[in-house]
Formats: sequence, C-alpha cells, structure tokens
Amino acid sequence: MTCAIQAEIPDQLWQQAQTLVSQGWASNMDAVINESLRRYLESHQDVLAESFIKEDVEWGLNGNN
Amino acid sequence: MVTIKSALVVADAGPLIHLDKLSALDVLSDYTAIFVPNAVWLEVFHHRPQALQASTVKLIRQLAPTPTAKVDALSAVYTLHHGEREALELCLNHSVNTLLSDDSAARLAAKSLNIATHGTIGLLVRAARQHLRAPAEILTLLELIPQQTTLHIRPTLLNEVIEQVKFEWKSNPTITLT
Repeated sequence: MTCAIQAEIPDQLWQQAQTLVSQGWASNMDAVINESLRRYLESHQDVLAESFIKEDVEWGLNGNN
Repeated sequence: MVTIKSALVVADAGPLIHLDKLSALDVLSDYTAIFVPNAVWLEVFHHRPQALQASTVKLIRQLAPTPTAKVDALSAVYTLHHGEREALELCLNHSVNTLLSDDSAARLAAKSLNIATHGTIGLLVRAARQHLRAPAEILTLLELIPQQTTLHIRPTLLNEVIEQVKFEWKSNPTITLT
C-alpha cells in the first residue's frame, strides 16, 4: 500500500535529488523520497539514540581520553 | 600521555548549548582546543550566544571547510544539516578523530568515517574521571538535564544512567561521592 504526499522543499534540494536520478543513482524521484524518508526514520530511532547514550556513559566511566 | 592531536576535538552545537545551559562548559576545559565550524558557531550564537563567551574553554571558530565528495554523500544519506556536515569536513581536513555531538544521524555518519563521537552525557561523566568536577556534582548535573536543557532522553533511561554511574563510582575506591 502506498500513499501520495505533497510537500514544499527547497529548490536546491530538489535539484540535487534530480541529479541523483539523472545519474542513475535512483530510478525516479519517488525512489529518492522513499529512500530518504526511510533512512531518516532509521537514523533517528530512539533505540539508536539510546545506544549512543549508553556508549557515552561507558566511555565517560572507563574511556582513556 | 595525552598527545596534542588527541586533545583536539570538533564540536557540533548540541553539547555546547546543553553544557552551557548546565553551567558546565568547563568539563571541556582540558581539551587543547575545540574547533567550531562556522555553521555550528552561527547556530550556537542564535540559540545560546553566551556559550561562545566561555572563558574556561578554547573555542576556535573555523571557516566552512572545502566540501568533500565523501561527506557530501554521507550528508545525503543521513540528512545532515550544515553544521553537522561542516563538523565532519573539519574532522577530516584537520585529522581530528573526535566529534562532540548529540545528534544520532551525525554520530552514525561519523562512525562510518571512523571518527569517534561523544555527547553531552558522556562528557559530563568523563569530567569526573578527568577530575574536572567532583562526582557528586556530576550526578546533580545529570539530574538537572531534563529541567535545564532540551537534550532528549527518556526519563527512565536517564535514571538508569544515573544509577549505573553511582554504582560504578561507589565500587571505585579512588572516587568519593560525598
């Protein structure tokens, strides 16, 4: 199942995305937007943020620099 | 022995803003210098200008570095902002292998470039190890994070962190908690 979206994005961002398509890095703009959103959500998951905090605490306690 | 190079770091806006809100920028005082890319400098200036006036840390404003294809590609993949992108470029340009950031996407991108990243909480805990602050003070600062900063952390996780730190320090005979 898919859904259509309408969004305003900066010209420059749009042009960069079009370049990716024209160079063959993505099959079309739908693919670029789909992949961008997926990666954004992946990289911002709470679990990821929490794992970084736990790593930080370990380094803070026992790191060597 | 700490080398000069290992004592150089690049900072993203988050830790500078959060630590200043906690009146704790001095936990960075043992770094030889902290490079602040121009975009980050402007972001901090917008949100927390007084952080840039701190006398206890050596913040060095850096002009926007020359973009590299590697960081450009990572920026697209991880949707990095200007400041994060410039911070990664600076790390590469100056062979600095530590980035101070609380942003997960920036930290992921840095990891793929073999750049170590540390955030506000790690820097606070480290300050006790480096004898920059008393352990009891650090525990108080950790407790103040939700009230005094905009650092996003689940309350139960913060409690777990505080309990873990307390436990480790209580088990360490060289550390006094009172």
